[in-house]
Formats: sequence, structure tokens, C-alpha cells
Amino acid sequence: MSRQSNRGADPRKVSGELFTLTYGSLVAQLVKDYENDEEVNKQLEKMGYNIGCRLIEDFLARSSVGRCYDFKETADVISKVGFKMYLGITPVVTNWSATGDEFSLLLENNPLTEFVELPEGHSNLNYSCLLCGVLKGAMEMIQMEVAVWFVQDQLKGDNVTEIRVKFVRRLEDAVPAGED
Amino acid sequence: MTIFNLYIFDRNGTCLYYREWNRTRQSGLAKEEEFKLMYGMLFSLKSFITRMSPTDQKEGLLNLRTNQYKLHFYETATGLKFVMNTDINEAASAPNVTALLHEIYQSIYVEFVVKNRLCALDKPIESEIFHRKLDDYIRGLPMFATKTSS
Amino acid sequence: MYGIYIINRAGGLIYQYDHNMSRVEVEKTFSYPLELVLKIFDEKVVVDFGQRDGIKVGHTVLAINGIAAVGRQLEDGRDIQELIETEENYPIAIKFGRPKLTTNEKIMLAGMFHSLFAIASQLSPEAKSSGIQVIETDTFKLHCSQTLTGWFLCVYTFVNINNSIKFMVIADPKHGSQDALLKRLYEIYADYALKNPFYSIDMPIRCELFDTSLQECVEQAERMSYGGV
Repeated sequence: MSRQSNRGADPRKVSGELFTLTYGSLVAQLVKDYENDEEVNKQLEKMGYNIGCRLIEDFLARSSVGRCYDFKETADVISKVGFKMYLGITPVVTNWSATGDEFSLLLENNPLTEFVELPEGHSNLNYSCLLCGVLKGAMEMIQMEVAVWFVQDQLKGDNVTEIRVKFVRRLEDAVPAGED
Repeated sequence: MTIFNLYIFDRNGTCLYYREWNRTRQSGLAKEEEFKLMYGMLFSLKSFITRMSPTDQKEGLLNLRTNQYKLHFYETATGLKFVMNTDINEAASAPNVTALLHEIYQSIYVEFVVKNRLCALDKPIESEIFHRKLDDYIRGLPMFATKTSS
Repeated sequence: MYGIYIINRAGGLIYQYDHNMSRVEVEKTFSYPLELVLKIFDEKVVVDFGQRDGIKVGHTVLAINGIAAVGRQLEDGRDIQELIETEENYPIAIKFGRPKLTTNEKIMLAGMFHSLFAIASQLSPEAKSSGIQVIETDTFKLHCSQTLTGWFLCVYTFVNINNSIKFMVIADPKHGSQDALLKRLYEIYADYALKNPFYSIDMPIRCELFDTSLQECVEQAERMSYGGV
């Protein structure tokens, strides 16, 4: 936790407003560039994925979190360490499926959507779709394939923003070439 | 302690980085072949150790030693493998090389490769700044190139 | 100490002795659906993810409802994965644990070590390197000595790290104690196997005298290490 506070005092810290505005203009530009909302969602997720692949290394290097051996543990780390570290919020982990391979993250306040109102005719746009990509990319780097999607979104009038995460399978380490 | 060389592999077995300092003997193989052999050895060694272990493991392989050198191994959860060969220093005051490899990961690799959007993560590292930072760090270590008298 | 392997110059396992292999076993009754992720590894059903209640990633299904597992099937021929996926079979009592190595696996591992030994020497950054002498992991330490008297012999001992560290502090910071044990084992090999006219070199050792004196030697070494602490 001491790292956390060090980070707060870091003079290079970027203001939250600048960040949300930057993200906002990025999404707005994508909405302009692409015909339909699905395509924008796809682009956002792809960007997020690439961020996640890198962010996980920073996460592992900074937090003293080791490998998870259970999905419940994984969910806790995502919420209490990951979200806390990078977005300053701790989503509630809930709605576990019976097999324990699927859970929801409930975000009361989504920092990405602070000043956002969705314009008319964009009901399919998942404004924060980047987050899904980040989670997917980061998890894949630690040998876990997951599916991530939005269930509820405050931007669409829901009470809470809900991100669903489903465990798909474990990925194996690559076998060296020419060996079995 | 003398530091001979350092290998960094990604999880696909690509050698992202290789650098040597006080290495006195070459394996007689082309570098590409040597990387493959090293990765292959680590891969088999890990599988060997998992099967042999009498109890459940967390980190697995830490190091191995011959009569001439000691190979230190550090692997991140993302499957990056850091391998450093040093001389055999069994003194109690010998620095913990695994911790040193973690430090290289944390303060040099993550900072200058991962956060540099122009560096591909699955290709050999060509970043000049990474190269320089790492070299400075290794040469600046108090244990660098001091032969242990034993 | 966990065990000893003796390997001939061609990588064949000629003697193996397990000592103090503690068995970790957990049995639990599950209701449908099973929360553990299982996979097939080495022809066994292994826990891949979802560690809980003492069941760890890497543990193998040893038995279901009291019927022992043989590879991917139960003794009665039923397929383990099929059994676990079928809802009618629940509640189900599954026993998990670390698998015991079979003789074939030990032979394979010995061969594997033999080649690792050679590669480590080839990859040495310094001239005149031997093969692997010590492998250290977070759960065990493996010491190996290679004899040079005309032919090749490897002896491995598995030493619980905690013990050996204590041992080193009290006795000798340079693993002298393990080296002494390896040397003693070699003497026993020379005495009771090589000098036995009915023993043919490079073949598996099946001599009772060898067995008993090796056991004695191991127990003595252990008493010494515990006594010293």
C-alpha cells in the first residue's frame, strides 16, 4: 500500500479530468469515423486489449501479487488491487455463477463516464468498452482466457454499471520449437 | 561475484534480449541456436522439477549450479523468463540474484520496454535506452566483476 | 531427504529409492456442478485451476467414491472426465493428491536429467564446466555427483531445503555434508553392487545387501542432521 501513497505524491501524476477528456475525445472521434456502434465497440476493445497486455507487466512489477490459483482470488485482485491502482475505485465483486467461473464487477462510479451523456441513436455504443479489452488482454498474459462484456451501464439509465467476466480456459506455455 | 551473462525470454520462447559481461567461454553455437538450447533446457527443467517435487510448488526452479557457474532463474506470472549466469558464490553474504532479476524486471524492463509503446513486446528488444539503463545498472552493482576468492 | 536415484552413463536408471515421501491427499464430496477446472496431463486427470480446501493446482484425481483411478479411468473402466461431467453421478466424493511417480516415469525423468546435465555443461559461460551439481527449487534441492572412474554414475538425493539449510549452518557452509553423503553412497555402490560377481554393470541393481546398507546410510545421515540442530 505504501506504493499507492507514493504514487499519489508523484509530481508526474496526470489529472483525472485530462484523462477522462482525452478518453472522451477518442471515443467521439471513433464514433465519427465508424459507421456503426458495434464497430466502435470493437475498436475500443482492441485498444484496451493492447493496453492490458502492457499494463499487466506494470501491475505485476508494482504490486506484490503472485499467481492466482483460484478464480475467486483473481476476481478479488482485479477489484481491490487492479481497479484501485489504475482507476482509484474498488468495484463490488458479485453475482457468482454456480460453477464459480463467472462473476460481475459493479461500478458505482465509473471515472471514464464522469461528464458523458450518450447522444441519441447510439444505444448500442459501449462507451467504456476499453475496460473490457484491458481486462481481456491482461488476463490473457497470465494464461487465462476470459470473456468480458457490459451487462448494465449507467450511461443507458441503469442504476449501476455492471461488467461481467467469464473464465473460458487456461492457456498453456509455448513448447520450444522442435520439441514435444 | 562475477556476472557472466543475461538472457530474457518471452513466454513463446523468443529471446528478447541477450547481453554478456564477463563471459570467458562461448558455447560454440550460433547465438540463435544457443538461445533455443537455453530455452529448451529451462522448459525441460521446469517440467522435470514439477514432476519430481515431493510437495506442491509455488515458484519452482530457483537456480542450478555446476562446478563453474550458477544459473539464476526468475519467471513472472506473464511467463517472462530472466536468466542470469554468475560465478558460484556460496558465501552467506552473496547477494540474492533472484531479487536482482526482479529489480531488472520492475525498474528497467517494465519502465523502458513495456511503457514504450514503440517497443513490440514479442520481438527482440532494440531500445537503446533499455540497453544503456541495463548496462549501467549491472556495471553499477557493487558485486560486478569482483572475483570471489574461493 | 526424499530419495535417491542412480543413473548409468547412458542415462538409464539403475537404482531408485524413495525415502520419507509424504503423501498429500484430500477427499471432498462435491455437488453438481464441479467448481474445479480439470485437464489431462501425462495421461492423468489434473486440477488446472480453482484451488480450494487444500486441493491444489497440479493435484491428480486419485479416486472417486473410493474407487482408485488408473490414468484417465477408474479401476472399473469408467472414464473419469465423463463421470465428473454427468449430473446424475452427484454428490460425488473425489480424492485428490500429488500423484506417485510410476517406475516408467522415474525412468523417463532419469533420462531427462541425464540430458539436462549435459546441456548445462554445454551452455556454461566459463571453461571446463561440469554438468549440474545442484538444482534448487522452492520445495526441494537436488544434489548430483558424477563419478569419473572410467564410467559414469550419478547419484541424486532430494533434501528438504529447511533441513539442509539448518544443516549447512551447523556443519559446513559448503554443502560438505551432502557431498559426504554422496561419496558414502558411491562407496556402498562399489562395495555391494560392483563387487558382487552376479551384478552386471549398467543393469538395474537388485541386491539385498545394497538396499539395506543404503537405507542405513541414509538414516544415519538424517539422524546426524536432525541431531545437529
